[in-house]
Amino acid sequence: MSDALVLEGVTKRYGQFTAVDDFSLRLPAGEVLGFLGPNGAGKTTTIRMVMSIIYPDAGRIRVLDHPNAAEVKDRIGYLPEERGLYRKMTVGDTLRYFGQLKGLRGRALRERIDASLERVGLQDWRRKRVEALSKGMSQKLQFICAVLHRPELVILDEPFSGLDPLNAGLLERLVVELRKSGSTVVFSTHQMNQAERLCDRIVLINQGRRVIEGRVNDVRARFAGRIVLIDGDGDLAPLARVPGVVDAHITSGHARLELVDGTPPNAVLETALRHARIARFELQRPGLQEIFVKLVGGDAAPAEPVVSGEAARE
Amino acid sequence: MNKIVAIALREFLATVRTKAFILSVVLLPGIMIGGMLGMEKAQQFARSERMPPRVLAVVDETGALRADLEAQVERANAERPNQPFRLEWLPPGSADMAALVSRVRSGELYGYILVGPEAVEGAGGFTLGRKDNQLQAGRAIEEMVREAIYAVRFRVAGVDPARVAELRLRPVPVTELDGNTGGPVTSNEFARVLTPFIFMFVLFMGTFGIAQGLLTTVIEEKGSRIVEVLLSAVSPTQLMAGKIVGMAAVGFLLLGVWGGVGIAGARSYQITDIVTGYRLALAFAYFVPGFLLMAALLAAIGSACNELKEAQSMVFPLSLITVIPMVFWFYLAEHPASVLSVGLSFVPPITPFVMVLRVCADPDTPVWQIGGSLALLWASVFVAMWAAGKVFRVGVLMYGKPPSLVELARWVRYT
Repeated sequence: MSDALVLEGVTKRYGQFTAVDDFSLRLPAGEVLGFLGPNGAGKTTTIRMVMSIIYPDAGRIRVLDHPNAAEVKDRIGYLPEERGLYRKMTVGDTLRYFGQLKGLRGRALRERIDASLERVGLQDWRRKRVEALSKGMSQKLQFICAVLHRPELVILDEPFSGLDPLNAGLLERLVVELRKSGSTVVFSTHQMNQAERLCDRIVLINQGRRVIEGRVNDVRARFAGRIVLIDGDGDLAPLARVPGVVDAHITSGHARLELVDGTPPNAVLETALRHARIARFELQRPGLQEIFVKLVGGDAAPAEPVVSGEAARE
Repeated sequence: MNKIVAIALREFLATVRTKAFILSVVLLPGIMIGGMLGMEKAQQFARSERMPPRVLAVVDETGALRADLEAQVERANAERPNQPFRLEWLPPGSADMAALVSRVRSGELYGYILVGPEAVEGAGGFTLGRKDNQLQAGRAIEEMVREAIYAVRFRVAGVDPARVAELRLRPVPVTELDGNTGGPVTSNEFARVLTPFIFMFVLFMGTFGIAQGLLTTVIEEKGSRIVEVLLSAVSPTQLMAGKIVGMAAVGFLLLGVWGGVGIAGARSYQITDIVTGYRLALAFAYFVPGFLLMAALLAAIGSACNELKEAQSMVFPLSLITVIPMVFWFYLAEHPASVLSVGLSFVPPITPFVMVLRVCADPDTPVWQIGGSLALLWASVFVAMWAAGKVFRVGVLMYGKPPSLVELARWVRYT
């Protein structure tokens, strides 16, 4: 499978401020990538560079095997973070206009407008002006505007922000449908559970640098095993002295240990078995939420970016 | 290319459908036609206004005018029966200014006429004092007194004033021809003088007026954050080109409607010689580059600003220059070949207005000046488009503080 999106050492500076710093990424076609990071991490800047709206100061970007997204605009669907619609235009005219700008014509255009409006439940709003729509409705309209031409690569910048759970659920289903139809999808979000549900891979960016990247399962697996939970009768205190344990919370009958990356939990288990009757031994698989908080929350980005999964092996 | 057409079409429809545009298309010719018809109506209306007789006290030191002046008043009253004059004869030598003034103040008199003793001989004339400054009444009174004095003079010279009046009544019509073509010219001098201004004004509205729309739509698209969605589908250059083409179509529509009304109006008033094919062709030739230049400048300014207010302060210098032909139009039309007129013809943003004024005022505007000013205008269009394209590309995604002129220059240089 070829790569839909490749970034190599991409850097963007605004004066003294480095918005994106030596950022690399490889996204195989047909996968869904969650682009995670705190506010101001450089997500929108990166996405704008991918879209060739702004240009990197250093590094290389290939989009659908082209060096410049401008060459393949009609094959990309883009929903910017800062998005708007013509307030005085009708819903139908808006779709027709953006469809035309993406190279759709005639009957194909009309059919897709019908189908899209129906899919998001806006079919009765076709002749209404955009200014009459609620925020959720105009966000759905913006979404279908972005994917009306069935793009191979869909880039969504904060598509779920400000949506109620019902509409967010609908958009999630649409993203899943896009993936099923073979599109590659990149979306940025703050909501880790959403990323966990929808994404094949994630990339986490903080202060312009890539913090972690890989398949969701690999990322979680990589952090799994670093937290060990033990329940048991006996003396759990010696566990804190096991080589590789950096942090231990031990109460009577319960221990929560954090291990140095790469430490096999066997030594911990052996020590525990010697001192107590074990009721539970669990290598905790952290959610993305915890990983996010762990990597970003300390505000000290690791000196060496953590890479796991396929990307690390390449 | 299809995308540019799609953008242009949207821009055109979005503008043409606004109430402001419909109003401006209908309103301006409406005001002009209304103004012309209104003048005539107002005159008719003024004639029918009823006034009580206006009494003029007369002190005739010559003692010879009474019969003739009464005859004149009778004639004038017959002409305007609703606004009659009446004379009150005071004996010669009884002129008491203080009394006359107080009687005028009290409203008893409209005014007074003091005819000097030598008026018939031609040494010293008459004095007229009246309540108000109405032009028409003043002229009428002056004419009545003068005609009365002439009549007395004729009689003294042994000529029958009735015979003179009869001879003078035979008309001596004049036929004015266009000296260049030998064809007829409009007899309406007012229309002739005003034509260059109207041509210029229409051109001004078609270029500066319409191109202003670009400024507002670019700012609207920036403000409502549509621009980034658009730029995911088209390049900034396509976007700018589409918008300019769309607005140019609006300009053509406007000029088409106004031009059509103008030609039809000229036909119906039989003043076709002032709306000639040559003038229309030249107006068109200047409209295209004139519009494109304005459009490029205003699109660039719009892209660099976030709010209409900011944009307006950036447009101000441009407005200041474009106002020059508006202010000096009469001078430019009356002295089309003067150094100032020729000089201003080569100031690109106002070239179309100045040239159209000059060409309408002087058919002999040298061909080199027409060709030269058009060439300069087109050259500036290309420079402006090139620079505007660069500013647009940077500006359209820039939010925050609008750039200074120095920063704008840097955008042009480094992008």
